[in-house]
Amino acid sequence: MSTTVRSAAVPLADVLPPVVRRGRVRTFLRRHPTAALGGVLLAVMLFVALFAPWLGTVDPTAIDPIHRLADPSARHWFGTDMLGRDVYSRTLYGARISLLVGFSVAFCASAAGTVVGVAAGFVRPLDSILMRIMDGLMSIPPILLAIALMALTQASVQNVIFAISVSEFPRVSRLVRGIILSLREQPFVEAAIAAGTRLPRLVWRHILPNTVAALLVQATFTCASAMITEAILSFIGAGTPPIVPSWGNIMAEGRALWEIKPYIVFFPAAFLSVTVLAVNLLGDGLRDALDPRLAKRL
Amino acid sequence: MLAYAARRVLATIPVMLVVAFVVFGLLYLAPGDPAAIIAGDQATPAQIAAIRVSLGLNKPFLVRFGSWLWQILHGNLGNSIFTGLPVTHMIAQRLEPTLSLMVLSTVIAIVVAIPLGVLAAAKQGSWIDRAVMALAVFGFSTPVFVVGYLLAWAFALKLGWLPVQGFDSIRHGIVPFLRTLILPSVALGLIYIALIARITRATMLEVLNQDYIRTARAKGVGQRAILFVHALKNAAVPITTVVGSGIALLIGGAVVTESVFAIPGLGRLTTDAILQRDYPVIQGVVLLFSFTYVVVNLIVDLLYTLFDPRIRY
Repeated sequence: MSTTVRSAAVPLADVLPPVVRRGRVRTFLRRHPTAALGGVLLAVMLFVALFAPWLGTVDPTAIDPIHRLADPSARHWFGTDMLGRDVYSRTLYGARISLLVGFSVAFCASAAGTVVGVAAGFVRPLDSILMRIMDGLMSIPPILLAIALMALTQASVQNVIFAISVSEFPRVSRLVRGIILSLREQPFVEAAIAAGTRLPRLVWRHILPNTVAALLVQATFTCASAMITEAILSFIGAGTPPIVPSWGNIMAEGRALWEIKPYIVFFPAAFLSVTVLAVNLLGDGLRDALDPRLAKRL
Repeated sequence: MLAYAARRVLATIPVMLVVAFVVFGLLYLAPGDPAAIIAGDQATPAQIAAIRVSLGLNKPFLVRFGSWLWQILHGNLGNSIFTGLPVTHMIAQRLEPTLSLMVLSTVIAIVVAIPLGVLAAAKQGSWIDRAVMALAVFGFSTPVFVVGYLLAWAFALKLGWLPVQGFDSIRHGIVPFLRTLILPSVALGLIYIALIARITRATMLEVLNQDYIRTARAKGVGQRAILFVHALKNAAVPITTVVGSGIALLIGGAVVTESVFAIPGLGRLTTDAILQRDYPVIQGVVLLFSFTYVVVNLIVDLLYTLFDPRIRY
């Protein structure tokens, strides 16, 4: 590389960009080794979720009563549960539910929170009303609100996503509103308004891009918290339908037998913890890398 | 100060109204006709209609919300659909285990987390600091029931030191009470420890950089006095805030912890109520927990002036 730089014949633009970009990734990895670890772990979990059928699994719902409660072995790596279902297959397929719920809630809560936050930040008469409502929603502990919402509807993955999103989005709306209130005072926003920028364009071009960093970091924490809430809901019987092999359901089924067959609870629990840890590590790294000032707010 | 306190108390009223509205909305939207449930299988449509009128179910939404709220303010949370008992009565029966669990968890969390956070800040960058931060990340990432099962497996099943599950009232003596409560409290407290240790470390790092700390060092104040007297006092406000807002985690976690350790508390009441779709009970528990959360945070707000006399409202 040094020889190319020295020969002045090569235009600088051809040389510099890749060098800079690679340097950034390397610096990021060196400065945030834990975030890199989180990224790798999450990538592994995504791989497991996407390719579950080809990772030596059998049908996660197939019942085989003769081989029920088998200890982990070469045939059943994580053993079997009380209906003879393969815990390894169920745990791997469980990654799909957990990640689906985590990512969906992160997306829905961010979207809804942004809409409410923008409305509160720009439409002054709405601000106090919306924020009182958000305060009220935030006063109900998130898990309880999700439980109460699930009690209203049928158990399904969509309803779980909806219930957890409702209990998570007020926090996002508070965050977005706070950022918007401080952005509104910034000279570049005043300049944009003075230049006659209409509100939708102002929000889209000048405000929203400046909330992306905080939203992204908040979204990772929302995702982690949603995966835990989903597992808790399923564990207490208010989450995904029992037929769905989600980690919470596997643990709920293993609960009665956990004193003699702890592995039925242990394997999904370990997968859940590792996945949540991965997302949290990634979020911490993103927060430090994108904006150190965020560290205090989140 | 009094004016501030009064304003702060008044500000909780709209918040609680929203909570009440949401909770009432849940019952309103709940599938199933309460009149038909109360009337039973043999009832004629006319009987059901009569019950509906007597319950006021034919009235408009806001009128029903108003009268429901009026009942709540008089301490009447309605009757359980399943047992027919007053919800307040059912809650009162289950209050002791949950309250004990939450208080013990809070005590454990504060006693463990604040010294850990202070130590991590004092030795920033050392292995102690790293260990505390690692503990915090794990605390955030490990769901409470996973911690619960791990603790029960190690200390109850393998070592046999403590009972696996159950609850013993404090009326039967403090030792059996603590023996049944210690594992669930530690399990529930872990995420709280993570939260408090992290904020304590962050705030202490900020405070330790200030001039008055250097002055204290210069005049020869010992390290321990600097950390726990001079610095911690000034770090108290953010820490108290987090202790207050963390109650939400504790409440959510209690529901699950009680399931893991078979503790007959409010969490179990909630879980059973969901499985039976006993809406008045769910409503009552959600209202009670939310009210607790709001009141705790109100107290925290009012405590600020105690910790930091510079704060004047």
